[in-house]
Amino acid sequence: MIKNWKLKEIVMLSIISVVAGVLYMAFSLLGYGIRNVLTPFGLAPFGFEVIFGLWLIGSIIAAYVIRKPGAALLVGLISAAVEILSGSPGGAKIMLAGLVQGAGVELPFALTKWKNYQKRTLVLAAMSGAVFSFIWQLFAGGNLALAPWLLVSMLVVRLIASSLLGGLLGKWVSDKLAQTGVLGGYALGKEQKKKREDEAI
Amino acid sequence: MMTAVNPTFKFIAILVPGVLLSFVYDVFTPLAYLTFLIVVTFTLSDISFKKWIRLFAPFALFALGFGWTAALYTNEAFSGGTVLFEFWVMKLTVGGLQTGLSITFRSLCFFAMSLLFIFTTDTTKFMMSLIHQCKVPPKIAYGIIAGYRFLPVFQHELQILRKAHQIRGMRRLKGIKGKLTQFQRYSIPLLANGIRKAERVAIAMESKGFTGNRERTYYHRMTVIKRDWLFLAMMVGVLFIVALLSYQLGYLKIFSKKM
Repeated sequence: MIKNWKLKEIVMLSIISVVAGVLYMAFSLLGYGIRNVLTPFGLAPFGFEVIFGLWLIGSIIAAYVIRKPGAALLVGLISAAVEILSGSPGGAKIMLAGLVQGAGVELPFALTKWKNYQKRTLVLAAMSGAVFSFIWQLFAGGNLALAPWLLVSMLVVRLIASSLLGGLLGKWVSDKLAQTGVLGGYALGKEQKKKREDEAI
Repeated sequence: MMTAVNPTFKFIAILVPGVLLSFVYDVFTPLAYLTFLIVVTFTLSDISFKKWIRLFAPFALFALGFGWTAALYTNEAFSGGTVLFEFWVMKLTVGGLQTGLSITFRSLCFFAMSLLFIFTTDTTKFMMSLIHQCKVPPKIAYGIIAGYRFLPVFQHELQILRKAHQIRGMRRLKGIKGKLTQFQRYSIPLLANGIRKAERVAIAMESKGFTGNRERTYYHRMTVIKRDWLFLAMMVGVLFIVALLSYQLGYLKIFSKKM
């Protein structure tokens, strides 16, 4: 899988993962904050669901920019490792959560044989990551103990949040980055360059 | 002593009990294991109590909040017993309270294990051990080490960006649209600079002969000795002993089923 990766793509992947890992921890604090605001209304379990897509954004960006098999999965794993190394409260189990989420995001890309990187594929990837991690949390996070009506509404909120904050925001950040020209050596930058050249003709 | 344990083994030694604990829903088992973890922390490693409690105490508050939510929103399989109080959609039962406490102690266990790992593990040695024991390709491992080194650089760069904005008289923007622009102003240059640096590092590594080949030499070679196996066996073994004890006492609960 790694044989046809260039070293600069791996370092790039690692940087995305490191940034994502640190951001994911900050997002957790944000989630706790939202949860505390929602608690008086009896909506505490939604604190993390309304911003859920944020935990997928690293995988989405890496997959969209690098466009090689395994990019999303690796970012899921490495960002989890970074979270553990920088002292995340979740412990070693985060590694498994990262694996599950990364695999979820990777799945739609794998189904298109890593050829299709349109907006809808990215949104689908984010939603798939959300569903994967939802199932994982049923067991690992103790969500199995929650009431069914609550679980269903949590899943709906999570899917909407993921498509917006994971899929669309991830694409927006990557496109903005490509505009600065730093992605010239990667798949996304090359594609955009080709597009500009085609338009010029 | 903990510092010398092979990092991969240490990692597995906290991963396996972590996963196993997720299946347990009674109060006794995680509490007993937490006690064991705290004993290990202060006998087998030289972590200072002050440093440890400074991180552990705030997290304990978080964990309590987390358990509180779980206690209020349990389904029939987990709640049950006498109703302690009821308020709008919230309903606290004895069963719910037990589940909540169990989840609190469980997350405290996870955190205690993380602290044990972070305080006694060197990042580079962890990566080296992943190459030697887990057969991670050196290309990835060294790539990650290079990327991880950028973390402090990002902080520094954020300060520079902030000052550059100040000097040019860029004000903080208000409203949701303003916040989005603000987000773009910081995140895009920060990432763009990071990517530029990544590219330079990759070129530097390759120009110095890094091919990512497995047949390379290493300055640190991580090995596995009997002590590492012993540590792993201890961490997992004690969990089983605790579970057995809790079974004997009639406490053990796996998911909602009383054993």
